[in-house]
Amino acid sequence: MRIARELSWLPASAGRLVIAVLVLTLAAADAAAQSALERVRASGRIRIGIDATYPPFGMAEGGEFKGFDVDIGRAIAAQLRVQPELINASFDGVFPALQSGNFDVVISAVTITPERSATLLFSDPYIATGQQVVVRSASTIAGPDDLAGRTVGVQINTTAQFSMEKRPGIAIAKYNTIDLALLDLQNGRVDAVASDGPVLRYMMRNSFPGLKAVGVEYTDEKFGVVLARGSDDLRRAVNAALWALQESGEHGRIYRKWFGDPATPSSAETTAAPFDPTIVARTWRLFLRGVWMTAAMAASSLILCLPLGLALALARVQANRLLSSPAAIYIEVMRGTPLLVQILFVYFVLPTVGVNLPAYASGILALTLNASAYVSETIRAGILSIDAGQMEAARALGMNYRQAMRRVILPQTFRRVVPPLTNEGIALLKDSSLVSVIGLTELARTGQELASRYAAPLTIWPLVALLYLALTFPLTRVAEYLERRWRPVTRA
Amino acid sequence: MIEVVDVSKRYGTASVLNHASFTIAEGQLTTILGPSGCGKSTMLRCLNRLERFEDGEIRVGDVVMNGTSAGASSRSAENDLMHRVRQRVGLVFQNFNLFPHLTALGNVIEAPITVKRLPRSQAEDIGRLYLNLVGLSGREHDYPARLSGGQQQRVAIARALAMEPDVVLFDEPTSALDPRLIGEVASLLRLLDELKKTLIVVTHDLDFAEAISDQVIYFEGGRAVESGSARAVFGQPSQAETRAFMNGFRSRQGTERP
Repeated sequence: MRIARELSWLPASAGRLVIAVLVLTLAAADAAAQSALERVRASGRIRIGIDATYPPFGMAEGGEFKGFDVDIGRAIAAQLRVQPELINASFDGVFPALQSGNFDVVISAVTITPERSATLLFSDPYIATGQQVVVRSASTIAGPDDLAGRTVGVQINTTAQFSMEKRPGIAIAKYNTIDLALLDLQNGRVDAVASDGPVLRYMMRNSFPGLKAVGVEYTDEKFGVVLARGSDDLRRAVNAALWALQESGEHGRIYRKWFGDPATPSSAETTAAPFDPTIVARTWRLFLRGVWMTAAMAASSLILCLPLGLALALARVQANRLLSSPAAIYIEVMRGTPLLVQILFVYFVLPTVGVNLPAYASGILALTLNASAYVSETIRAGILSIDAGQMEAARALGMNYRQAMRRVILPQTFRRVVPPLTNEGIALLKDSSLVSVIGLTELARTGQELASRYAAPLTIWPLVALLYLALTFPLTRVAEYLERRWRPVTRA
Repeated sequence: MIEVVDVSKRYGTASVLNHASFTIAEGQLTTILGPSGCGKSTMLRCLNRLERFEDGEIRVGDVVMNGTSAGASSRSAENDLMHRVRQRVGLVFQNFNLFPHLTALGNVIEAPITVKRLPRSQAEDIGRLYLNLVGLSGREHDYPARLSGGQQQRVAIARALAMEPDVVLFDEPTSALDPRLIGEVASLLRLLDELKKTLIVVTHDLDFAEAISDQVIYFEGGRAVESGSARAVFGQPSQAETRAFMNGFRSRQGTERP
């Protein structure tokens, strides 16, 4: 099962390092004066963190959650007589968010391991599962012991990867999501794919005909509900709820709904081929929501970062060190640290000093703070590129510094920095995909969810690319318009 | 009356102005003549406070500027001083420094609107008046990039005049122009002379200086070596440096124009 699932565009080690640093930071800050169970009962809701890109355990289409873990979470909430509040987050982000009190529990196909038990609390297991191997229908591979000398696809940083690494003579190909591994198996680039049994069965049933599972589940793994340290009373309540679900047969009904006989699928899940264009017709509303989220995040940040960037640039060109030095330091820090870390910092670390912003505001804040550093340097370069004679001419006419800046220097600067600022705007728009790490379902995250959900990366990702292109297009048009309008001025 | 009394200025250890002293009468066209690097442009820039100086004193009418060694003035006092000097003294730069993002008229009315707070319509009337005076009526809405060098200089002159200063400074007005246009600059300066402005022209071009000047100050080594009427200085220079410069200039001219 998964240990840590990374954002697909990040190197795995960077992501894990970030998490490690954040967890250490957060471990220092211990919040709860109220016990976890008291908090849940008093608020009348239980906040459940889930990475909903992992069918059949967790899936999301826009705001609607489905899957085994989702049903288990809802059943537990019903037992506790509180409302379930499901919160989507990247697997990278769920543990820090749990530690900082953004969730009460995480139910997200998390394997109980000794390493995790050292820093987190686990409930009793709610499902037992194991790794399995799938191959193409015509393959002669009969099980996990036939894999020597073969290439095996796995999802990166999963227990499947680690178990394969322990077996000699196997070449391992690592993928960010399991649907990509299965796609490559279909394409013949790998000989087998190893992953979690229920996930593989679900994927094959829905989207990957021509593959077969071989051999038995060769590992034994148990998933548990995860709680922050100190939530012992809530853990007791969750365990009692799980027992009650077993006793009443509710757990069995949920299990059969998701993992029952493939011949009679009780879930109303749709089936789709990997290249199915009808997926577009079925998912366009969700894409629209993703496009809207991306556009709103990028536009808000862009509008906010321009005045901030201008202020920083103006501060930095001052001779007075009291003004220029803080701006220089700010820019150095913001440009020298990864945007991902800044987003995680705003969302997870600021709450420990009492600044608790919702995800949307945190995303915009982090993007704005980051982009303003780049924008300010672009504007500063523009200011410095204006001939010194312009300032002298303005001053010689009796204008003071502010008047000269406002009426003479900055209007010329803006004309010059339109092309590089357009670059910044486009970069900002694409960088906004990183806010998915704090659970915002923007365009790239929508693509990731739907690619897993429909196991159709070849339909979904080109569509995502086209939509990004469509979003950047208006920006470049505005820039072209401004350049055309100002051409008589810039022509020497 | 403009009085420069014992003004000295250094850039690091290099002395640019070295006890410069002279007076300039109102309503006259005075040239400051001298070889390259003699400090004459720096002197000009001190006259409207684009540069400060360490020692000495400059008086422009009732505005008094002191050397920085006499003690630092407060920021607001300095701003006030700059404001008063620049109300009185306009400057036409060597390479004009027009605002490229504004039309000819826009260049001329910018300071009357932002500094003098004139209503736009009134500023435009003044702007058209001065553009007309320098012979640019009809070109009000052209951007500087569309104008020739001579036309750009006329916009720069109109821009300085629109603030209605008593004194207009010209830094090397012939150096950025085609030599054939020098005659036009001379006639333009004579036209301005009729407005009874005090005109101070820095140049290293002896012929040009001789053609336009009422008064001449010969500058060398960061100080005024000789000053007097154009007739006296050009006809009977009293100082050896002045004679050497003029002889050198004439012989150079002679070899260039056989």
